[in-house]
Amino acid sequence: MGNTAAEFPQEAATASELIAYYPTEIAPGIVINMQTMYMTWLTMAIVFLLFFLAARNPKMIPSGLQNVMEFFMDFLNGLMESVLGIHGRKYMASFVITLFMFILISNELGVVIPQIGGHWTSPTNDINTCVGLSLTVALGVYVVGVARRGLGHFKHFISPSPAFLPLHLLEELTKPLTMALRLFGNILAGEILLIVLYKLSPWIIPEFWVMFSIIIGFLQAFIFTMLALTSYAIVFAHDH
Amino acid sequence: MVDINGTLIAQVLNFLFLVFILAKFAYKPLVGVMEDRKNKIASDLETAEKSKQDAEAIKAEYAAKLSEARQEAQTILDTARKTAQAEHDRIMAETRVEQEQFVASSRESIILEKKKAMNEIRGQVVALSMIAAGKIVEQKLGSEEDKQLAGSIVDGILNK
Repeated sequence: MGNTAAEFPQEAATASELIAYYPTEIAPGIVINMQTMYMTWLTMAIVFLLFFLAARNPKMIPSGLQNVMEFFMDFLNGLMESVLGIHGRKYMASFVITLFMFILISNELGVVIPQIGGHWTSPTNDINTCVGLSLTVALGVYVVGVARRGLGHFKHFISPSPAFLPLHLLEELTKPLTMALRLFGNILAGEILLIVLYKLSPWIIPEFWVMFSIIIGFLQAFIFTMLALTSYAIVFAHDH
Repeated sequence: MVDINGTLIAQVLNFLFLVFILAKFAYKPLVGVMEDRKNKIASDLETAEKSKQDAEAIKAEYAAKLSEARQEAQTILDTARKTAQAEHDRIMAETRVEQEQFVASSRESIILEKKKAMNEIRGQVVALSMIAAGKIVEQKLGSEEDKQLAGSIVDGILNK
């Protein structure tokens, strides 16, 4: 965040607001955080470009970017195969790979690009993004479950006995919530700490935190994807 | 800092859009080439294994054929040697027999010739002696007894 990061607290409404979302009312009653939106579009463009350039002219003997993207895909395919099985992998591959790459690039965007200056934040430092993703995953389980197994999908709510229904319902609520808050908390805290560290020391110490944040960004993307996979596992459990 | 607002819906749409775009344009070709590569490596390995097995089978076959050929050659050689030896023995035996026959018949004919010659000579000598003796003693020695005497004398000389 460098020098520009120090200016944000003055712009923000209160001293506690270190991160600016620039909420804008684009239509009556509809407020959009424009900073999050721009960064999301940038993330989407980067993810798309990475995949597009790698897949534009795929070669039998991969090199360069194709190698890197195939490494990620192979890694995720392996995870999916172990959790969802082969059918589940084929069904969920594009969703899971996109989820992982989107969160990974989002997380790294807020810690890597600010090193060259400017107000760059991670889209995942906004609770809206995290809740949006975790809700997509949670609702996706219902959509895929009903699409593949019909209404029988809802049987798992009363297994092993109907007495477990409240627990299952509670889990359906807490799972997306904890997924969203874990990602949100980690990324936001990382960015705030980076700003604070820049205030304490302009050099060296923040760079160590940047390196650590890069690892945290990967780890959080992995954790989120892994949890998403486990919630989909119930849909494909009978295909094994 | 934690206001839930319209951004949530927008982010869900953004994400689903990205999933759709990637699935359509980027994911399929990459997965296709990965699958192709996997299949190619698997089939190449299989082909290599098969070729190796084929080569080993051919090698074994060749080795068997080679040893068979060597054995056959040895058999042919042995037979030829045996045949040659037998032929050699047969020819030698025949030759010996022929030779012996030839020698025996030669000896017989020599003896016969000799006998014949001797008889002839005897006749001639007897005649000659008779003429010579007749000439010498005129008619005096013309009797059968004289002839016999002269014959015994000549015999005695010839057989000496």
